[in-house]
Order: sequence, then C-alpha cells, then structure tokens
Amino acid sequence: MVRRSGVLLKSAAAGISSRLAEILVCPLTKQPLRMCEKTNSLISDSIGVSYPIVDGIPRLVPSDGIILQSDQDLNSSDPPQTNSS
Amino acid sequence: MAALQFAFPSTAGGRRRLDTRSTVRPVRCAADRQALFNRIAPVYDNLNDLFSLGMHRVWKRMAVSWSGVKQGDTVLDVCCGSGDLAFLLSEKVGTSGKVIALDFSKQQLQIAATRQSAQSKACYKNIEWIEGDAADLPFPRSSFDAATIGYGLRNIVDRRKAMEEMYKVLKPGSKVSILDFNKSTSSLNSSVQDWMIDYIVVPIASGYSLADEYQYLKSSIKEYLTGKELEQLAGEVGFSEAKFYEIGAGLMGNLVATR
Repeated sequence: MVRRSGVLLKSAAAGISSRLAEILVCPLTKQPLRMCEKTNSLISDSIGVSYPIVDGIPRLVPSDGIILQSDQDLNSSDPPQTNSS
Repeated sequence: MAALQFAFPSTAGGRRRLDTRSTVRPVRCAADRQALFNRIAPVYDNLNDLFSLGMHRVWKRMAVSWSGVKQGDTVLDVCCGSGDLAFLLSEKVGTSGKVIALDFSKQQLQIAATRQSAQSKACYKNIEWIEGDAADLPFPRSSFDAATIGYGLRNIVDRRKAMEEMYKVLKPGSKVSILDFNKSTSSLNSSVQDWMIDYIVVPIASGYSLADEYQYLKSSIKEYLTGKELEQLAGEVGFSEAKFYEIGAGLMGNLVATR
C-alpha cells in the first residue's frame, strides 16, 4: 500500500516507510540503519549485519540479525544513499 | 495486555493438581518466554477479557492517561503484544502523531497487524509494528514523548536493562507508564491473586489446553518487584521521579516514572 503523503514514501518492495527507517537504529550499536530495497532489509554497516523486514515488520531482535559474510554480500546491497528529503 | 501472560509448553501429559503451594517450574530464559507468548497468541485477547471480566481495558486506559500522551506526540509501546495499548495511544496522538509498538513475539505482532488492517479509524494507520527486544531497543536516544509497557516488564528477564533502555529513548521530562500485576506486600492481596489463578484462571485455561501455560503467571508475579522496589529501580536507572499506584483493588499496579 503506498501512502499518499509525499513525506512517507513507501516502497512496495521494502515494506516500510522511509520515515520509519530513519528513526530506527541498530539494536546493538545504536547506529543508524541503511535501508536496502534489494534484500528488503535494514543494514547495520558498522557491524556488517542485516536485519530482515517481513510483511512490513522490521525484525530488530539482535538474534534476527544476519551477519554479512563477505564483501560480496556488502556489495550486493544498495550503496549508501545520499540523504534526500 | 492485562491478565495472564505466560505460557510455557509443557511436555508433561495431564493437568496439574490444583495446589496453591505447588512449586511451578519458572520460565527462565527469554526464549522460553518468547515461545510462551507465541503459543498463547491465538487466544490471548479473549482470555484477557474473560479473566479480568473486561477490566483490563479500564486499567490500560488508566496507564495511557498516566503516560501524559497528547495529540501529535511520537510515543513508544514496549511489549505491545496484540496491540491494546498501541491502539489506545494511537487515538490520543491522532493522525499527526506516531505510535511505535515493539514486541519480541512474531505471532502477537501478526495479530496486532491484522487487527490494525481490520480497523477503519484513520489514526490507527500511524502505528508501526516492530519486532524487537525490550532490553536492546532499536531507537536513538531521546526519541519519544511518552512510553508505555503493559504486562510486559514482569516477563522481561533483564528488567534493569529494559528500564535503562526506556530511560534512554525517552525525551527529558517525558514519562513511562508501566502497568502490570501488583506484587503486593499484603498477604490478603497475594492470597486473592493466588486463589484467582488456581481456581479461576487455570481451570478455564485448561479448557484451551493451556493450563500449564497459565500456571506461569503465579511464579512470574512472585518473582516480580513490589511497587516500592519498582520505584527504587526507576530511581537507580536515572528517572527523576517515580510513583507507584495500586489499582484494581490492589491486584494491579502502575508505575509512572519521569525522565
């Protein structure tokens, strides 16, 4: 479902609004997360962990985090996006 | 979610004999408790209504009022379960506000999301469900204008950590409202709670094959903190004020702590 508001941009693939993604942080490092639409997950770059989003609900229990094993995993994610608002 | 929260899948066959002095194996680790809430999720809301004769709805409204939530706020509900408090908060913050509701049970969150999509009120669209751990909140410091936790703190293994996390994510001057069973220092209150669990709750729960699950309630109350201890814990983690209120004829209690 795509929200009408220009502020709440919701990607059908991502399943969460960019506004929500902005207020979430890694539960372990408390650092900002990066939204990766390709893998539909939230990336904690500082520790190389990916948290899945399932049915529009981010799974941010630490044990839900998937360690990104290699540079290939990191490269397969979207590159860091410049802030656009 | 008021009333009973706990369910540990029992591998033993048959039902426990009702004995107020029986020792119930405590549901120790977080994974056990997570499994418990996943297991009771399908009947959770109905049993809450049944066991509390609908009173849990009143207690939750009181908890929301005590949080100081107002229109336009961004608020947090920890251990949101199937969403009762989140929906009440959503009505208060309105369409200009935001409710972030967090729980570690996938099944409870699924029910909450389903309830949300079945509702027609526009304000409910401002609730976001997050699967997360109360002891490791995925939010920056000073994010929220108010927070609530209903029938959750008692079930968290590391309560001090959870209190510290809630303290950090609240904006200075904001409040957290913590509703739960009252671990009373009054032997009368304790006896009434025990009696109700043994002779009302467990027999009814056994009709849903959840007798063992709801036995956990008794031990979880005994292992919980009294009102005074909760006030003390809040002070230790940094809250500037903490006041505990007994409600529901002393069976329930609500701590209000200000950052």
